[in-house]
Parts: sequence; structure tokens; C-alpha cells
Amino acid sequence: MKTITKEILREAATKLMFKLTEEELDQLVKEFDIIVKQMELIGEIPGVDEVEPMTFPFECAVNYLREDVATKPVDRDEILKNAKDVVDGQIRLPKVVG
Amino acid sequence: MEFEAVIGLEIHVEMKTNSKMFSSGPVSFGIDPNTEVNIVDMAFPGTMPVPNKQAVINAIRVSNALHMSIDDTVIFERKNYFYSDLPKGYQITQQFRPIGREGYLTINVNGEDKKIGIERLHMEEDTCKQLHSWDFSLLDYNRAGIPLIEIVSKPEMRSGEEAAKYVEKIRSIVSFLDVSDGKMEEGSLRCDVNISLREKGTEKFGTKVEIKNLNSLANIQKAIEFEISRQSIILDFGGHIEQETRRFDEGSKETVLMRVKTDAVDYKYFTEPNIAPIKLSKEFIEGAIKTSPELAEHRLERYKSLGLNDYDSSLLLSNKETSDYFDEVNKSGANPKLIANWIIGDVQSYLNKNGISIKEFKVAPKHLGGLIKLVEANKVSNKQAREIFEHMLVEDKDPELYVKELGFVQVSDEGELLSIISELLDANPNLIADYKAGKDRVLGFFVGQIMKKTQGKANPSLTSKLLVQEIMKR
Repeated sequence: MKTITKEILREAATKLMFKLTEEELDQLVKEFDIIVKQMELIGEIPGVDEVEPMTFPFECAVNYLREDVATKPVDRDEILKNAKDVVDGQIRLPKVVG
Repeated sequence: MEFEAVIGLEIHVEMKTNSKMFSSGPVSFGIDPNTEVNIVDMAFPGTMPVPNKQAVINAIRVSNALHMSIDDTVIFERKNYFYSDLPKGYQITQQFRPIGREGYLTINVNGEDKKIGIERLHMEEDTCKQLHSWDFSLLDYNRAGIPLIEIVSKPEMRSGEEAAKYVEKIRSIVSFLDVSDGKMEEGSLRCDVNISLREKGTEKFGTKVEIKNLNSLANIQKAIEFEISRQSIILDFGGHIEQETRRFDEGSKETVLMRVKTDAVDYKYFTEPNIAPIKLSKEFIEGAIKTSPELAEHRLERYKSLGLNDYDSSLLLSNKETSDYFDEVNKSGANPKLIANWIIGDVQSYLNKNGISIKEFKVAPKHLGGLIKLVEANKVSNKQAREIFEHMLVEDKDPELYVKELGFVQVSDEGELLSIISELLDANPNLIADYKAGKDRVLGFFVGQIMKKTQGKANPSLTSKLLVQEIMKR
């Protein structure tokens, strides 16, 4: 099985747009070492790669769909309360395209 | 070298439901920013998505119109990416089990029918709208969560014209099914083009270029035509095509580079755990299809059976509103051909002159129908009908009222006309003899006299008919 190296972690962090310190990287390498060992244990079970990933613990299909009825929206001041910077009823942020 | 273009389209259609895809937040267009938002759309912690029944019905109807097989289990996935237009940090979509699969639609190019395969149709939610200024961006969440359907064609189109025809057909389908207003210029129908070239006669696909956000049928065609020539030149000179995303620049009528595609983004799709799989019953799916509004092609058949020709029918069907208006007028029981003539002629020229759409047209369908029936019943002449129509444009009233107001009532009572005629004939025996001797103009004199007696209200065609009949009796 693939070992998780510092390089892989650094690349993943870059893709997710955050930086990791050397100490954090060392820590994560150690943690992944344990996780990978546990995974190897599961890998020993025959036919495990043919199993679909499970999202729901049991068959639980429903037939409920919401009726298409609109309700009153939340007041704008309320909905924007957590935003740091609001201009003309819109959230302002640093320009996101070049 | 001779090249062949390989074109596939991805179309996003914004639905005009009352509420959003996964929340009961209202859907409406063109209102103040962030006033149509609820806690689910804003991704506040602990909120849960619940799929919209009408959105599912709409997706079934469009899938059916595109001859697709419909999945009876609805499952959603999360598409994870980090961007400011996405409040949750993921978009709920249907990556692995699209509701519609494997269909087609038929376009007509140069008089020939061509089937274009459609790979998939799935439901998802729209993102928030970003307004980019020179040094900041503004976020309006009204659009966040509006139901979308995405329709992905197979790469089976070969020219800009075919692509434009395909989009036009999709637009007709979604608007006639009442799923969307289908307005490209307002973003309720958005189109991305994938295009590559290959040497004619070969099978292998070339490197594809994506053209984003084309906002009109004409621009789709122009962008593709430009891209075909751009790629041909590069290939002819031995260059190679970069895999990249471009956009169409309306000013220069050229496609311009947006970004070069490096590694494909990994969206880490996984099943949306907050929505349990939904089983659609056979009755539900069949019911959605059975109650589906009538498509343009079915209306065409109906119009033909009403006796309209292809040309008139296609004009009426060029947009749903005109076709709806025709159907409403037709309920009056007036002659369909005459209705079509009025709508295509007088109504349309009024709309054009005033730069308005038929939606804004003030004359009630039943009033126009009534007017046409008055003409049919010979109660008013065509000329008088046009005059009444002019009045109706100013104030929309029952045409019968205008007939009285304008004094247009024609005397069509045979008894009344006959008594006038016999009185006249009794008084002019010599003219009867003249007529029988071949002096046709005598007839004109008689008609003139009758008109005088009735103050011009005698129905002209009925009058001449009765007059000749009575003269011959003598």
C-alpha cells in the first residue's frame, strides 16, 4: 500500500489552499502511518475491493419530496449578519478573478 | 488538410420553480440582492437539504421529451470545491446516477433531419451570483440553490449551425414544458461548448477546447465557426492544440483564452449523506409525463389538423407565448386560419411597431376571437374589423360594444333586406328590364339605394345575393 509522505501531504495542503509547518507534517506522517497499517489489515479481507462504498448503514430509500411551495426568506440584515463587509446588501470580498 | 469538427454541448437550464432545489427559499429573478435567501441556501450549520418535487417532475418531463431512460432512484452527490460562489463548499449534484440517460433529439439542417445523441441529464443547484468590480467582488445569494438541469450531449455535432439548432431545440423543449423561460441573454439557459478537430475520415478525437458562457444562439454559431478556423490554421501549420478554456468576445467576434487546463480538478465526489435515496414510483414518473405540457412538435401536429399550413404554424410556434395566445383565441371557436392571419399580421405588426412582446399585449384573447367571429358572421366587414381592432388596442373592450359605439351593425336580417328590395324593385320595373337586357350596372344602383335606406349598414354580400335572386324572380 502507498505510504503517505511529506511530499504528498504538502501537495494536498497546497491544493486545499493552506500551509503546513514542518512539525505538523511530521505529526501527520506519523498519524497516517497508523491509519495505513489499519487499512492494510482491512485489505487482507478477501474481495474487499469489490464492495461499494457505503453511505447509508441500511437500505433506506424514501419517497418523500418537498412540495414546491416557497416560504418567506430570512430578513436580509439577519442573513448578512455574519458577513464582515457588506456593501449595498451584498457581501464584499477581495476580487476573486484575475 | 481537411478537418472535421467534433462538437459536444453542456447546457444548464435554470428552472422557474416557486422554491429552490433543496430549500423552500423563493425563486424569482431581478429583485434586490440577498432578499430571496434562507438558511439552507446560506449553508448555515445544521440545515438540511430536501429535494423539490416540482424540480424532479420537470427533470422527468425534459428527460422524456429527449427520449431518455429515466432512473427511478434519485441519488445526489457532493461536488467539492472551494470558491466564493459556493456557500457550502460543495454543490449538490447527480454525478453517478443522472435522472435521465441515453436519449436524443432531432434537428433539421439544410432540409435534412439529424439525430443528436444525449448522454445524460441531471439535477443540481445553482451557485451564488458574483459581481466583479475592478478591485473587489460582490456576492448575491439569491441565485444560490435555484434548481438546474444540466443536459450533456454526445460529441455528435459537426458545425456551428448544428450546435445552434440543437440549443434552439432544447430551448423550445424547456420553455414549452414550462420548465424554464429559456432566456439565454438573462442566463436562464447557459451553454458551454467542447470542440476539437480531427482529420476527416479518422476516428480518434483531437485535443478539445472548451468555450464558456455563450449568451445567444448567434454567438454559439460564431464562436464555433471562429474556433474551427483557429484550430485548422494551427493544425495546418503543424502546431498542436492546447487543452484550454476560452470565452467568446462579442466585440472582436473571436474566442479568447481564459486559462490553460492543467490537471483535471478532483472534485472528490461522494454521496450526499443528508438526502436518503428517493424511490420514484412508476405512477409518479408516468403521472409526470402524462400531465406534461404540450411540446412544440405536438402543437405543430395539432395546428396542422386545424388546417394551418407549415409556415403559419412555425410562426405561431416560434415562441411559447405566441402559441399560447393563439390557443386562447382559438377557444372562442373562431376560424383557426383567420386567427392565425390576425396574430401573424395585425397583432405581430403592432407588437413590432411598439417593441413589445405578446406577453405585454393588452387585447384579451376572447375579444380578438369575438372580433374575428363578427367578421365570419358578416356582421362587420374586414375594414370595419380593423377599425374596431385599432380601438381595442387603445381600450380593450368586447368588440360588440365597439360595433354599437361606432354604428357598425350590419343589416343581415334577410326579412328586413327583402322588404327593402321588393319595395325598390316595385318602384323601378324599367330597371329590372334593363338588367335582364344585360345592363349589369343597374345592380350597382340598386345596392346604392339599399345602402342609402339602411345608412350603409346592409351586409354587402348578402344584399347582392338577395337582390339578384329577387330580380330573377320577376
